[in-house]
Amino acid sequence: MLNYRNKAIVVISLLFSMFVIFACTAEETSSESSSGSNTLATIIDRGELVCGVNDNLTGFGVVNSAGQFEGFDIDFCKAVAAAILGDAGKVEYVPLTASARFEALAANEIDILIRNTTWTASRDRDLGNDFTAPTFYDGQGMMVKASSGYDSIESMAGSTVCVLQGTTTELNLDDRFTGSGIAYTPLTFETNDPLQAAYEEGRCDGWTTDKSGLASKRAGFSTPSDHVVLAETLSKEPLGPLTRDNDSELYDVVQWVVFGMMQAEESGITSSNVSSMASNPSDPGIARLLGVGFDGGEPSDFGFGINVDFMQNVISQVGNYGEVYESHLVPLGLTREGSLNAQWTEGGLIYAPPFR
Amino acid sequence: MISNLLKQFKSQTTTRKKIEVLKYDKSFRKFFIQFLFSIFMVIFLFYLISRAFSLELGFGHLSSRAGFGLSHTFIVEYTSNDSRWGAYFTGVVNTIRVSLVGIFFATLLGIVMGLARLSKNFLISKISAGYVEFLRNTPLLIQIIFWQLVLLQLPQISNALTFGGISVWSNRGILLPIISSVENGSLWVLILLLTLIASLFLRSYLHKFKEENVRIFSPNLLSVIFFLIIGIVTYFILGIDLRSDVPTLQVNEYGTYIQSGGFALTPEFAAILFALVLYTGTFITEIVRGSIQSLPIGQTEAAQALGLSTYQRITLVILPQALRSIIPPLTNQYLNLTKNSSLSVAIAYPDVFMVSRTIMNNAGHALPMLFLILITFLSLSLFISLFMNILNRRVTRIGT
Repeated sequence: MLNYRNKAIVVISLLFSMFVIFACTAEETSSESSSGSNTLATIIDRGELVCGVNDNLTGFGVVNSAGQFEGFDIDFCKAVAAAILGDAGKVEYVPLTASARFEALAANEIDILIRNTTWTASRDRDLGNDFTAPTFYDGQGMMVKASSGYDSIESMAGSTVCVLQGTTTELNLDDRFTGSGIAYTPLTFETNDPLQAAYEEGRCDGWTTDKSGLASKRAGFSTPSDHVVLAETLSKEPLGPLTRDNDSELYDVVQWVVFGMMQAEESGITSSNVSSMASNPSDPGIARLLGVGFDGGEPSDFGFGINVDFMQNVISQVGNYGEVYESHLVPLGLTREGSLNAQWTEGGLIYAPPFR
Repeated sequence: MISNLLKQFKSQTTTRKKIEVLKYDKSFRKFFIQFLFSIFMVIFLFYLISRAFSLELGFGHLSSRAGFGLSHTFIVEYTSNDSRWGAYFTGVVNTIRVSLVGIFFATLLGIVMGLARLSKNFLISKISAGYVEFLRNTPLLIQIIFWQLVLLQLPQISNALTFGGISVWSNRGILLPIISSVENGSLWVLILLLTLIASLFLRSYLHKFKEENVRIFSPNLLSVIFFLIIGIVTYFILGIDLRSDVPTLQVNEYGTYIQSGGFALTPEFAAILFALVLYTGTFITEIVRGSIQSLPIGQTEAAQALGLSTYQRITLVILPQALRSIIPPLTNQYLNLTKNSSLSVAIAYPDVFMVSRTIMNNAGHALPMLFLILITFLSLSLFISLFMNILNRRVTRIGT
């Protein structure tokens, strides 16, 4: 008798657990289907933007002493949130490692990825991402000690260079040195910490990685002026935000927020004068950018699916491209003048397509 | 038994009864379960193999240009223009190099410390106990990184110690003066080593002859003469031109300090070597101690009663007997040391694992590469096992 009762209990609990599992999966699939195609609608529903970032790269994305995320990439997360939700504070930051970043985006864990990520063909196509617009034109550089007297790659003949193993950086390094017939010894480390120790103790003469990364590491040294990043660039590394493939609504918004910030700088709109510009635009172009009517006319709507005056929120809460650059990257020693990141009018590559 | 079962099976009339016969037969039941399991295994293996073949296997990508440099090359020359096979082979040589040197020093350290642990001298035995307990109980990876950081504290190359121009000590490496030849130097050293082993065999062979009352010159003298003749003949055949190779520290036109020449001990190689020797040495210490303690105390007492000195007691009575139980676990430690050398991936020593990882990152094809690494380590392990088994057979023969 007892045996039968036990069996009955087992059967009933099994049935119950199956029911629970089915209910859960059903719920999951329904929420999946609503968020799958249109991330922009999901963000508006949720009232928050989930942004994948770096938390360990000074100037680009780092947690400050107050526990807040700050940096160049972080400001673009804020700008997108300000454009979509009207509030730059409505962002949830998800710190990601370099190897986990693309999977996190593909698995819907984050809405957009802004984590000093280089735009390459394989990442754009194979990994199923869409790169919006480059926000920073980086390149592989070489850091040496100021006392060493090196001024070019050619002068580093016979030196030892520290590099991370298995990276494209390692291959670019060899292309540059061996290609020019310059003798050198590569010392390849698995992680950055032992590499930094070896560089600081003089085990190697140079340290090569992206220039922005070098500037960031340089700023972290006790006396940054003891170290110099050589002028030469060994490779092209355009960094920018990316979304999932076939997520056009969000993709267009992110792309045009970036372009809008560049255009604002070009038009002389800053976070301090944006409200006066919006109430009394000096020309039709500025009126179109800020989503207001010119001379009593109707504001133009580009159909992004968000407020027409989204650029006002972005510029007033975050600032234009130049302001963001100025506050995060200039302190690292990454000057804009003469670099690829200058406005196109000044010989750089920062160029926004027309806002019309 | 099967015929018995068959008879019973045929004698039943209905199918139901026939099944019952099978159901209650113990051996058939066992066979049936094993049969099902093996069918399952075959299907599973087939599935795995077919999956593996759908991936791109093969080592074609290893023939293309490597494109990356390696900081440590030994005997074989390697540049980034060589194929990936070249890079891989350089990694294999680096692994063998650190493993062999490591095995030699770990054995030496283990035997010394094992004997010290049994010493009646309080200080000596406690030093050995402290060494074992401290180093055996900390992770090897941390010891490797520790040694690397310690060696980086040597003077930087711009103020390297030169000891009056005969040696260079900096954190780029410790360079010691050696005697070398312009060409065929390492080949000659290899021949000398092989000749040394051969003459040792010759000596023991001649000793056996002598025991059988064959009148012969001193076996020791004969084997020394054999060694010298081969050494001198190859010296002239290979055109060896011996000269002293004193390390130098130079500054090139751009102000880069370059140290070259001599025998170089780089911090990376030294760090992985120290860590492997000290870590494996603790286990060998315990093996030696345990094996000696497992001998009956009567052996020691008998040796003392015969009036043997402490040195004679250890080398003639204790160690030869202890070796029988030392060698099997020692083989294990040698294999461990070889496999642990792959931890050098953390500190920029390009062993086979690090080179393979770089190739995998550059070219993909992870599965064939991992297969290649497994084959490489398997071959190394089998080779060590083979050597140790031969040694073991010799040792166990003593005294029987």
